[in-house]
Amino acid sequence: MEFEPAEEMEEFEQELRHAFRRQPAPPGLKTRIMARRRKPDWRGHAVLWQRLAASLALAAVLAGAALWRQREEQRKGEAARQQVLTALRITSHALNQMNRQLAAHDRASQE
Amino acid sequence: MAHDWQPDFEQLVDEHQSMVFSLALRMTGDRGLAEEIAQDVFLELDRHLGRIESAQHACFWLRRVAMSRSADALRRRKVRRMDQWVEFDEAQSIPAEERHSPLGARLEQLLAALPEPQRAALVLRYQEDLTPEEIADALEAPLATVKSHLQRGLKLLRARAATDLKEYVRGV
Repeated sequence: MEFEPAEEMEEFEQELRHAFRRQPAPPGLKTRIMARRRKPDWRGHAVLWQRLAASLALAAVLAGAALWRQREEQRKGEAARQQVLTALRITSHALNQMNRQLAAHDRASQE
Repeated sequence: MAHDWQPDFEQLVDEHQSMVFSLALRMTGDRGLAEEIAQDVFLELDRHLGRIESAQHACFWLRRVAMSRSADALRRRKVRRMDQWVEFDEAQSIPAEERHSPLGARLEQLLAALPEPQRAALVLRYQEDLTPEEIADALEAPLATVKSHLQRGLKLLRARAATDLKEYVRGV
Protein backbone atom coordinates (compact mmCIF):
# COMPACT_ATOMS: atom_id res chain seq x y z
CA MET A 1 0.00 0.00 0.00
CA GLU A 2 1.28 3.42 -0.89
CA PHE A 3 1.32 6.04 1.90
CA GLU A 4 1.13 9.76 1.31
CA PRO A 5 3.83 11.65 3.19
CA ALA A 6 2.06 13.72 5.90
CA GLU A 7 3.70 16.89 4.65
CA GLU A 8 2.35 16.43 1.13
CA MET A 9 -1.12 15.75 2.47
CA GLU A 10 -1.00 18.89 4.62
CA GLU A 11 0.09 20.87 1.60
CA PHE A 12 -2.80 19.42 -0.38
CA GLU A 13 -5.24 20.32 2.39
CA GLN A 14 -3.90 23.89 2.35
CA GLU A 15 -4.49 23.98 -1.41
CA LEU A 16 -8.06 22.86 -0.79
CA ARG A 17 -8.63 25.53 1.88
CA HIS A 18 -7.39 28.13 -0.57
CA ALA A 19 -9.40 26.78 -3.53
CA PHE A 20 -12.59 26.35 -1.51
CA ARG A 21 -12.65 29.73 0.17
CA ARG A 22 -16.05 31.41 0.20
CA GLN A 23 -17.28 32.97 -3.03
CA PRO A 24 -18.72 36.47 -2.85
CA ALA A 25 -22.52 36.47 -3.03
CA PRO A 26 -23.97 37.71 -6.34
CA PRO A 27 -24.52 41.47 -6.42
CA GLY A 28 -28.03 42.39 -5.29
CA LEU A 29 -28.69 39.12 -3.45
CA LYS A 30 -29.44 40.96 -0.21
CA THR A 31 -31.76 43.42 -2.01
CA ARG A 32 -33.68 40.53 -3.57
CA ILE A 33 -33.97 38.76 -0.21
CA MET A 34 -35.25 41.93 1.48
CA ALA A 35 -37.75 42.50 -1.37
CA ARG A 36 -39.08 38.94 -1.06
CA ARG A 37 -39.25 39.37 2.71
CA ARG A 38 -41.54 42.40 2.37
CA LYS A 39 -43.90 40.64 -0.05
CA PRO A 40 -46.79 38.78 1.57
CA ASP A 41 -46.38 35.06 1.38
CA TRP A 42 -48.91 34.30 -1.37
CA ARG A 43 -47.84 30.68 -1.47
CA GLY A 44 -48.88 30.24 2.17
CA HIS A 45 -52.23 31.95 1.54
CA ALA A 46 -52.78 29.93 -1.62
CA VAL A 47 -52.26 26.69 0.31
CA LEU A 48 -54.79 27.85 2.94
CA TRP A 49 -57.38 28.69 0.25
CA GLN A 50 -56.73 25.39 -1.50
CA ARG A 51 -57.31 23.50 1.76
CA LEU A 52 -60.48 25.47 2.45
CA ALA A 53 -61.80 24.82 -1.07
CA ALA A 54 -60.98 21.12 -0.79
CA SER A 55 -62.76 20.93 2.60
CA LEU A 56 -65.85 22.68 1.18
CA ALA A 57 -65.90 20.39 -1.86
CA LEU A 58 -65.62 17.33 0.39
CA ALA A 59 -68.40 18.60 2.66
CA ALA A 60 -70.62 19.25 -0.38
CA VAL A 61 -70.00 15.73 -1.73
CA LEU A 62 -70.76 14.15 1.67
CA ALA A 63 -73.94 16.23 2.12
CA GLY A 64 -75.04 15.35 -1.42
CA ALA A 65 -74.47 11.66 -0.76
CA ALA A 66 -76.46 11.81 2.49
CA LEU A 67 -79.35 13.63 0.78
CA TRP A 68 -79.36 11.16 -2.12
CA ARG A 69 -79.44 8.23 0.32
CA GLN A 70 -82.36 9.78 2.24
CA ARG A 71 -84.32 10.39 -0.99
CA GLU A 72 -83.60 6.85 -2.18
CA GLU A 73 -84.91 5.39 1.09
CA GLN A 74 -88.04 7.55 0.82
CA ARG A 75 -88.58 6.40 -2.79
CA LYS A 76 -88.16 2.74 -1.82
CA GLY A 77 -90.58 3.19 1.13
CA GLU A 78 -93.18 4.80 -1.14
CA ALA A 79 -92.81 1.98 -3.71
CA ALA A 80 -93.28 -0.63 -0.97
CA ARG A 81 -96.40 1.22 0.29
CA GLN A 82 -97.84 1.29 -3.22
CA GLN A 83 -97.17 -2.45 -3.59
CA VAL A 84 -98.97 -3.20 -0.31
CA LEU A 85 -101.95 -1.02 -1.37
CA THR A 86 -102.12 -2.75 -4.75
CA ALA A 87 -102.05 -6.16 -3.05
CA LEU A 88 -104.83 -5.06 -0.68
CA ARG A 89 -106.91 -3.79 -3.63
CA ILE A 90 -106.46 -7.09 -5.47
CA THR A 91 -107.38 -9.10 -2.34
CA SER A 92 -110.42 -6.92 -1.69
CA HIS A 93 -111.52 -7.28 -5.30
CA ALA A 94 -111.11 -11.08 -5.11
CA LEU A 95 -113.10 -11.29 -1.85
CA ASN A 96 -115.94 -9.14 -3.28
CA GLN A 97 -116.10 -11.36 -6.34
CA MET A 98 -116.19 -14.46 -4.14
CA ASN A 99 -118.98 -12.90 -2.02
CA ARG A 100 -121.04 -12.16 -5.09
CA GLN A 101 -120.59 -15.73 -6.37
CA LEU A 102 -121.58 -17.18 -2.97
CA ALA A 103 -124.67 -14.93 -2.81
CA ALA A 104 -125.66 -15.99 -6.34
CA HIS A 105 -125.16 -19.63 -5.40
CA ASP A 106 -127.33 -19.18 -2.27
CA ARG A 107 -130.11 -17.55 -4.28
CA ALA A 108 -130.00 -20.38 -6.84
CA SER A 109 -130.23 -23.08 -4.15
CA GLN A 110 -133.22 -21.34 -2.45
CA GLU A 111 -135.13 -21.17 -5.71
CA MET B 1 -36.03 29.75 26.72
CA ALA B 2 -35.19 33.40 27.44
CA HIS B 3 -32.14 34.87 25.68
CA ASP B 4 -30.71 38.40 25.50
CA TRP B 5 -29.48 38.29 21.92
CA GLN B 6 -31.58 40.45 19.61
CA PRO B 7 -31.32 39.21 16.02
CA ASP B 8 -30.99 41.76 13.23
CA PHE B 9 -32.10 40.05 10.02
CA GLU B 10 -30.40 42.49 7.66
CA GLN B 11 -27.12 42.17 9.51
CA LEU B 12 -27.39 38.37 9.42
CA VAL B 13 -27.90 38.51 5.64
CA ASP B 14 -24.87 40.82 5.30
CA GLU B 15 -22.67 38.56 7.42
CA HIS B 16 -23.67 35.18 6.05
CA GLN B 17 -24.82 35.63 2.44
CA SER B 18 -21.41 34.68 1.08
CA MET B 19 -21.27 31.53 3.23
CA VAL B 20 -24.80 30.36 2.35
CA PHE B 21 -24.36 31.12 -1.36
CA SER B 22 -20.94 29.39 -1.53
CA LEU B 23 -22.24 26.25 0.21
CA ALA B 24 -25.19 26.05 -2.18
CA LEU B 25 -23.00 26.77 -5.20
CA ARG B 26 -20.43 24.08 -4.32
CA MET B 27 -23.16 21.56 -3.60
CA THR B 28 -25.26 22.20 -6.73
CA GLY B 29 -22.70 23.60 -9.18
CA ASP B 30 -25.41 25.93 -10.49
CA ARG B 31 -25.13 29.64 -9.78
CA GLY B 32 -28.81 30.41 -10.44
CA LEU B 33 -30.02 27.53 -8.28
CA ALA B 34 -27.52 28.48 -5.55
CA GLU B 35 -28.91 32.01 -5.42
CA GLU B 36 -32.47 30.67 -5.26
CA ILE B 37 -31.46 28.33 -2.40
CA ALA B 38 -29.71 31.21 -0.58
CA GLN B 39 -32.84 33.38 -0.82
CA ASP B 40 -35.06 30.55 0.44
CA VAL B 41 -32.68 29.80 3.33
CA PHE B 42 -32.69 33.42 4.51
CA LEU B 43 -36.47 33.70 4.23
CA GLU B 44 -36.75 30.52 6.27
CA LEU B 45 -34.39 32.08 8.82
CA ASP B 46 -36.71 35.10 8.96
CA ARG B 47 -39.62 32.82 9.84
CA HIS B 48 -37.55 31.06 12.54
CA LEU B 49 -35.82 34.16 13.89
CA GLY B 50 -37.65 33.95 17.22
CA ARG B 51 -36.06 30.58 17.91
CA ILE B 52 -32.49 31.67 17.17
CA GLU B 53 -30.63 32.16 20.44
CA SER B 54 -27.25 33.62 19.47
CA ALA B 55 -25.07 34.71 16.57
CA GLN B 56 -23.34 31.30 16.66
CA HIS B 57 -26.70 29.56 16.63
CA ALA B 58 -27.71 31.63 13.56
CA CYS B 59 -24.50 30.65 11.75
CA PHE B 60 -24.94 26.97 12.66
CA TRP B 61 -28.62 27.07 11.63
CA LEU B 62 -27.82 28.72 8.28
CA ARG B 63 -25.11 26.15 7.47
CA ARG B 64 -27.38 23.22 8.34
CA VAL B 65 -30.35 24.54 6.38
CA ALA B 66 -28.21 25.57 3.37
CA MET B 67 -26.76 22.03 3.17
CA SER B 68 -30.17 20.46 3.62
CA ARG B 69 -31.86 22.65 0.97
CA SER B 70 -28.99 22.00 -1.45
CA ALA B 71 -29.37 18.24 -0.92
CA ASP B 72 -33.12 18.59 -1.55
CA ALA B 73 -32.44 20.49 -4.78
CA LEU B 74 -30.01 17.77 -5.92
CA ARG B 75 -32.58 15.10 -5.09
CA ARG B 76 -35.26 16.93 -7.11
CA ARG B 77 -32.82 17.13 -10.00
CA LYS B 78 -32.14 13.40 -9.67
CA VAL B 79 -35.87 12.69 -9.77
CA ARG B 80 -35.97 14.61 -13.04
CA ARG B 81 -33.52 11.93 -14.30
CA MET B 82 -30.46 14.13 -14.08
CA ASP B 83 -27.19 12.97 -12.62
CA GLN B 84 -26.50 13.61 -8.93
CA TRP B 85 -22.92 14.51 -9.73
CA VAL B 86 -22.95 18.20 -10.48
CA GLU B 87 -21.44 19.81 -13.53
CA PHE B 88 -19.39 22.65 -12.17
CA ASP B 89 -18.70 24.83 -15.15
CA GLU B 90 -16.64 27.57 -13.59
CA ALA B 91 -16.16 29.50 -16.80
CA GLN B 92 -19.91 29.67 -17.38
CA SER B 93 -21.08 30.09 -13.83
CA ILE B 94 -18.73 32.60 -12.23
CA PRO B 95 -18.14 36.17 -13.40
CA ALA B 96 -14.62 36.78 -14.68
CA GLU B 97 -13.64 39.08 -11.83
CA GLU B 98 -14.52 36.43 -9.23
CA ARG B 99 -12.86 33.48 -10.95
CA HIS B 100 -10.29 31.32 -9.14
CA SER B 101 -6.81 30.51 -10.26
CA PRO B 102 -6.73 27.74 -12.89
CA LEU B 103 -5.61 25.31 -10.16
CA GLY B 104 -8.48 26.34 -7.90
CA ALA B 105 -10.95 25.99 -10.76
CA ARG B 106 -9.61 22.51 -11.47
CA LEU B 107 -10.01 21.50 -7.83
CA GLU B 108 -13.58 22.84 -7.87
CA GLN B 109 -14.32 20.65 -10.88
CA LEU B 110 -12.80 17.60 -9.19
CA LEU B 111 -14.86 18.30 -6.06
CA ALA B 112 -18.02 18.57 -8.15
CA ALA B 113 -17.40 15.07 -9.52
CA LEU B 114 -17.40 13.49 -6.04
CA PRO B 115 -20.51 11.73 -4.66
CA GLU B 116 -22.80 14.12 -2.79
CA PRO B 117 -22.13 12.97 0.83
CA GLN B 118 -18.34 13.20 0.35
CA ARG B 119 -18.68 16.56 -1.37
CA ALA B 120 -20.81 17.88 1.51
CA ALA B 121 -18.28 16.76 4.12
CA LEU B 122 -15.32 18.22 2.19
CA VAL B 123 -17.05 21.54 1.54
CA LEU B 124 -17.81 21.99 5.23
CA ARG B 125 -14.27 20.89 6.16
CA TYR B 126 -12.32 23.10 3.75
CA GLN B 127 -14.67 25.99 3.02
CA GLU B 128 -16.02 26.41 6.54
CA ASP B 129 -13.02 24.93 8.40
CA LEU B 130 -15.31 22.77 10.58
CA THR B 131 -14.17 19.82 12.68
CA PRO B 132 -15.62 16.37 11.90
CA GLU B 133 -17.84 16.73 15.02
CA GLU B 134 -19.22 20.06 13.79
CA ILE B 135 -19.77 18.59 10.32
CA ALA B 136 -21.67 15.67 11.86
CA ASP B 137 -23.90 18.19 13.68
CA ALA B 138 -24.44 20.29 10.55
CA LEU B 139 -25.31 17.29 8.39
CA GLU B 140 -27.18 15.48 11.17
CA ALA B 141 -25.09 12.38 10.42
CA PRO B 142 -23.16 9.98 12.67
CA LEU B 143 -19.59 11.07 13.36
CA ALA B 144 -18.14 7.78 12.05
CA THR B 145 -19.98 8.26 8.75
CA VAL B 146 -18.70 11.82 8.41
CA LYS B 147 -15.12 10.72 9.14
CA SER B 148 -15.43 8.01 6.54
CA HIS B 149 -16.81 10.48 3.95
CA LEU B 150 -13.98 12.90 4.73
CA GLN B 151 -11.31 10.21 4.41
CA ARG B 152 -12.69 8.67 1.24
CA GLY B 153 -13.47 12.02 -0.34
CA LEU B 154 -10.04 13.42 0.40
CA LYS B 155 -8.34 10.27 -0.88
CA LEU B 156 -10.39 10.29 -4.07
CA LEU B 157 -9.80 13.99 -4.61
CA ARG B 158 -6.07 13.58 -3.97
CA ALA B 159 -5.83 10.65 -6.38
CA ARG B 160 -7.77 12.46 -9.10
CA ALA B 161 -5.83 15.65 -8.53
CA ALA B 162 -2.52 13.76 -8.79
CA THR B 163 -3.30 12.47 -12.27
CA ASP B 164 -5.50 15.26 -13.52
CA LEU B 165 -3.35 18.16 -12.39
CA LYS B 166 -0.14 16.58 -13.70
CA GLU B 167 -1.76 16.33 -17.12
CA TYR B 168 -3.08 19.84 -16.70
CA VAL B 169 0.33 21.27 -15.75
CA ARG B 170 1.91 19.43 -18.69
CA GLY B 171 -0.75 20.87 -20.98
CA VAL B 172 -0.29 24.47 -19.80
